[in-house]
Amino acid sequence: MEHSRLFWAAIAWMIVWGVIGSLLIRRRYLHRDLDTSNTNIVGAFVGAATGPVGLAYLWYKTPVLTTRYIAIPALLTVLVFMLAFAKGDPANICVTNGTFVASQFVNGLVIGIIYGFMALGLTLIFSILGIVSFAHGEFYMIGGMLVYFITNVWFPGASPIIGILGACIITFALGAAFERLFLTPMYDGRVGRPVEYGILVTFGLAFTLQYFVQAVAGANPVKARRFLDFPRIRIPSDEDPWLLKANRGSLELFDSVTISSPRLTAALMCIFVLIVLIYFLQKTWTGKALRAVSLDREAAAIAGINPDRMNMLAFALGGMIAALAGAMLVQAFSWLPQVGAIPSMRSFVIVVLGGLGSLPGAFMGGIIVGMVEAAGTGCVPDPQKAASYIPAYGMIVLTLTLLLRPTGLLGRRFSSATHGQN
Amino acid sequence: MRKQQIPNLLGALTLIFFAAFPFVYSGGNYDYVMHILIIGFFYAIMASSWSMLAGYAGQFSFGHMGFMGVGAYTSALLLHYVHFAPQPTNICTEYQIGGTWMIFVNPVGVTSTSLVQDCLTQAKAIWGSAVPVRDVPVWLGILLGTFMGGLFGFLIGLLVLRLRAAYLALFTLGFAEILKATISAEIDVTRGQAGLETPALFENGITLFGQAYTRTDKLPPYFVFFFMLLACLAILTWLSRSKFGLFVRALREDQDAAAALGVNTTRYKILVFVVTTSMAAMAGATNAHYVGIVTPNALFLLQMSLLVSMAIIGGVENFVAAAIGAIIIQTLLEILRSASFEIGSIHIDMIYWRLVFFGILLMLTLRFSSNGLIAPIIDYFYRSDVGKETVAKREQSSGKEGAAS
Repeated sequence: MEHSRLFWAAIAWMIVWGVIGSLLIRRRYLHRDLDTSNTNIVGAFVGAATGPVGLAYLWYKTPVLTTRYIAIPALLTVLVFMLAFAKGDPANICVTNGTFVASQFVNGLVIGIIYGFMALGLTLIFSILGIVSFAHGEFYMIGGMLVYFITNVWFPGASPIIGILGACIITFALGAAFERLFLTPMYDGRVGRPVEYGILVTFGLAFTLQYFVQAVAGANPVKARRFLDFPRIRIPSDEDPWLLKANRGSLELFDSVTISSPRLTAALMCIFVLIVLIYFLQKTWTGKALRAVSLDREAAAIAGINPDRMNMLAFALGGMIAALAGAMLVQAFSWLPQVGAIPSMRSFVIVVLGGLGSLPGAFMGGIIVGMVEAAGTGCVPDPQKAASYIPAYGMIVLTLTLLLRPTGLLGRRFSSATHGQN
Repeated sequence: MRKQQIPNLLGALTLIFFAAFPFVYSGGNYDYVMHILIIGFFYAIMASSWSMLAGYAGQFSFGHMGFMGVGAYTSALLLHYVHFAPQPTNICTEYQIGGTWMIFVNPVGVTSTSLVQDCLTQAKAIWGSAVPVRDVPVWLGILLGTFMGGLFGFLIGLLVLRLRAAYLALFTLGFAEILKATISAEIDVTRGQAGLETPALFENGITLFGQAYTRTDKLPPYFVFFFMLLACLAILTWLSRSKFGLFVRALREDQDAAAALGVNTTRYKILVFVVTTSMAAMAGATNAHYVGIVTPNALFLLQMSLLVSMAIIGGVENFVAAAIGAIIIQTLLEILRSASFEIGSIHIDMIYWRLVFFGILLMLTLRFSSNGLIAPIIDYFYRSDVGKETVAKREQSSGKEGAAS
């Protein structure tokens, strides 16, 4: 970095004013006896983006803080950050090369859709059971492993669809059995602190599953075949210039954006399953019952829904969604028994960012995290460092969310006792 | 003999056993057995401090291994980068303190992890052996590591004040992950995955009771860890029996109610973080010098799961039980490592299967005996006469009442 000092000075300036803003504005609103739920985040963003000027305005006017007051300063903050980056490192590939940025953007979007889909399972489990499943990454890993074993080892040459269906059925059964065996004491007060019990027992499940797979499948990386080879086409014509070009492994748009075919098929399948899932949750009786239980357990029970049955369904369904994400990505990445750790943590980040228990929030959070990771891996000057920092980008997002707005983007406060944390 | 005294007696016997063990035992695999016990003590310190944090105070932190890493890396970096010499090198960054120069070793063109070339090595090549270069003593590194662990615990404790349960677990996990990613990425400072070499606990050997021990002998580190564990358990026992323990348990049961009754929840929450994390950091720093190398892999989630399992299986609300559980499980895992066997034509490789069984044991313990497996045994002896006593007291008092009426 040429003028990296400038960049770090700008970052320090933003952090200082962000902290001052978040503390100051909260005090101001407390003094005025106004709603303080949004003060931290608004103060921090306004402070970071505009420095003392915007803070003075906020201090003087003390307006009602709505979502508009969060979105605009947040976008401004991102803009200022990007400006500082561009000024600090004018030679960076992210500043000079537009097609690279477009490519990273599209790839971030594609992978973000898959991340969001996986996080959906976690948030579903949380909204019904009130626990964070630490075994989510292991379900993801098992989904991929099952597809590999079904299509490559047990029934060589089987269609990937069979592999995916098999993985879904097995993980659904596994989730349901685990819920019946280990999570039932949570509901009737047989364990003292259900939330901690849920965390620890799913932690134990993660540990067991990971080493079980390692003992059975060995520790060598495996990779499944591509599910789908794209046809070799060019649109609009065979000659240059063309808008879209596809070959077996990838798809190119406008001569600049390249998307690898496994990721694209995975993302498209995720969108398809998502639509099915939304239909299931909105239109069928069982789906409506699930949503009813997440809103109010007691009222749902009075209306004739068995909440315990819904618990089982939610845990099994959540695990299956993670397995499905893994089943689709096994064709894109090589697969190890330890592969679940990073996606698991990424899912935590996404659900906290989107708001624990919010389904649209999880999807939005997934896309944001996908973008942040794409920007992080593409723009950090030293590629080796950038790769090592991949898990940290998400965690920085998590830390900021927990500090500024613990309810997340679209979070709501839960009323029932098991959810009543935070 | 009354049943209540059995645990005390057994405890005393265990202490004597562990204190005498290195002198009595003389098998061919002496070093190996000692090594297992030392690592067992290390995990015992970690597990008992975690059980204070999670079991007593109810703060389920998944970043305990991260704090251990803070201690280990503080000590390793300090000893690696800071040296003292009586005259300046003129190529390093250095500051004069009295008659000596404090030298910060800047790496000169270190990009590969194997290449060791720095300004001090160059200076030494010019000086020859004429100028004595002194390192920072190991105990100072451990002390500073402990302090840094406490400092990080203070900061994290401040940040998690408003977070509970799942959010706290995720935040602390995030802290450990960021730390690990930073250490792996900043290769020119920490050497990344290759790890940073550390001097041994007693680099120049030590003489105890007229017996000389070299730096690779297991006996001195064994006793270092043993006494460290005893000190930690003593501190934890003292804390749990004082007002601190009472307040911290109130915090676990109901934070709002505790605050309403006048417990300064902020102070005690931060305090419990500082105490337990500095213990973890101390164990980590000492272990770094014992093992001789620190790598970011030690901060893996696997290590954290191992630690959590040890504390849970021992008994998460009783730190003595957690410590005993850690030692027993560490020993068991080592024994099972080589216990592979065959059923028919299937070869069962225990290196992985032992961890599978271990995970199942963890889940079953949580499900059926949430107090762990060792804590209930201790409780059984301590509480065996409580029922009888209560009945006796009641009869006595009712007898008095009967006489009075």
